[in-house]
Amino acid sequence: MKRLAFSYHPDYLLHTPPFEHPESPERLIAVTEHMKSTGLLEKMIPVPVDYPDDEDILTTHDREYLNKVESACRRGDMTLDAEDTYLNRHSYNIALLSAGGAIAGAKAVAEGTADRAFCAIRPPGHHAGRNVGMGFCIINNVAVAARYLQRRHGVGKALIVDWDVHHGNGTQDILFEDPSVFFFSIHEHPTFLYPGTGRRWETGKGPGEGTTLNAPMAPGAGDDEYRIVFEQQLTPAVERFKPEIILVSAGFDAHRDDPLADIQLSDEGFRMMTKRVVELANAYCGGKVVSLLEGGYEISSLTSCLEIHVRELLEG
Amino acid sequence: MFVARRMQKNTVTLAPDASLADAQEKMRDYNIRQIPVTSADGKLIGILSDRDIRASVLPAGFIPGFSVEEAQKFLHNTPVEKVMTRKVATATLTDTLEDAIVLLRDFRVNALPVLDAEGKVIGIITRTNVLEAFIDVLGVGEVSSRLEVVVPDKPGTLAQLVTIISSFHVNITSVLASSHVEEGKRANFFRLNTLNLAPIKKAIVEAGFEILDPSQFTL
Repeated sequence: MKRLAFSYHPDYLLHTPPFEHPESPERLIAVTEHMKSTGLLEKMIPVPVDYPDDEDILTTHDREYLNKVESACRRGDMTLDAEDTYLNRHSYNIALLSAGGAIAGAKAVAEGTADRAFCAIRPPGHHAGRNVGMGFCIINNVAVAARYLQRRHGVGKALIVDWDVHHGNGTQDILFEDPSVFFFSIHEHPTFLYPGTGRRWETGKGPGEGTTLNAPMAPGAGDDEYRIVFEQQLTPAVERFKPEIILVSAGFDAHRDDPLADIQLSDEGFRMMTKRVVELANAYCGGKVVSLLEGGYEISSLTSCLEIHVRELLEG
Repeated sequence: MFVARRMQKNTVTLAPDASLADAQEKMRDYNIRQIPVTSADGKLIGILSDRDIRASVLPAGFIPGFSVEEAQKFLHNTPVEKVMTRKVATATLTDTLEDAIVLLRDFRVNALPVLDAEGKVIGIITRTNVLEAFIDVLGVGEVSSRLEVVVPDKPGTLAQLVTIISSFHVNITSVLASSHVEEGKRANFFRLNTLNLAPIKKAIVEAGFEILDPSQFTL
């Protein structure tokens, strides 16, 4: 069994929606309770989560944007831009703490106190761009973690697998010209689903040309279609890029029971994706995987798929 | 939407006595594939496309004695007026984009020079410019979610839908309405600036409308 770090902070529950909203604290309550009741919590290594240093956030976001979010929270604004990305008085801090959870997981793996990490964090991050929050996301947790690994732990090349059903437009924008971080996203086709980006010809720019790979999936696609993409697109990309660590933007909203999209993955689809990432990490990165929670809004499939995900990270 | 809003101004033009070599150089420099040919007073007398040039020059090396040097000599010595197309499909400043789309299709051309009242070239509108307009209207690339609703073909249904959507405080970034495969029905397409379509879809269905599954989208 692998040593799996688990990062979580009870204050994640303080980011609460001012109106009915799918990205609610109940998601994480359900996740932690499920981890307890299945005995998986005991099998993981809890790691301390703290607020990140400023420099570790400024790799990814501009100071002006952070100030804007902070004062919006202080003022009592209910949303950041559109109504998707709600705020309360704690939201700025908790968004930082969410990135802190990603950093904590990355740190444990980089320092060798764990082989892999799962970060049960919220709010999610992959829609947040350098200067803009959207789609429930305020700070881009996965980009912060990748840059943290590079700056603090001498990691050269990192690869991100984003299987949230929505395209990780924020992560893509932040890393579009960066040749040292490969961004792979598989998501429902942008003609049908938010945010409307992630077309197959978006492949990076300048020095980063060729280090972005998008796999838009037709509505109704399921386990078989996803398996083919993992085999035929992700696997050769990893073989060519040779990352030193794999980060996963693990959303669970591509499940057939999730109400926000039209992709039809079963629980087994999430097992297949986790297994394949673990196999690739074992082959190319000494098994190092840091997985971060993104979306997933239907509690029952969220918890059952996360259980599978964690088991595969522990055992694969 | 008028042609004037979408056309390229500062149009590159050629004099009738310019050489084909000059024309090729301009096409390369400005990354364009056709150039209006104008008289000294700016009036349109023809249009020259890269295909006109290609059709006029046999590929060097295919014919014995016709070398690359010969071809270059031909390009430098031939004025564009010998090769250009004289019958040109054009647009005017008062034409709309709809006019341009139909003209581009009917004449099977890639571009329409835009003329003012005196027949002078003041712009050019290409298939690419029209596609740009289409991309904008569809809201492609804007942060948004897409929704297709089938409604009965009677007045007031679009207003009903917009009322439902606005009750969720969500911006509409694009709307299209078109006929539907089933008679007596129409399809309305929206792009909405939200990730969370689920409650909006629910409200629309509860109001008695039909939401199309994305795999059934007709447009």
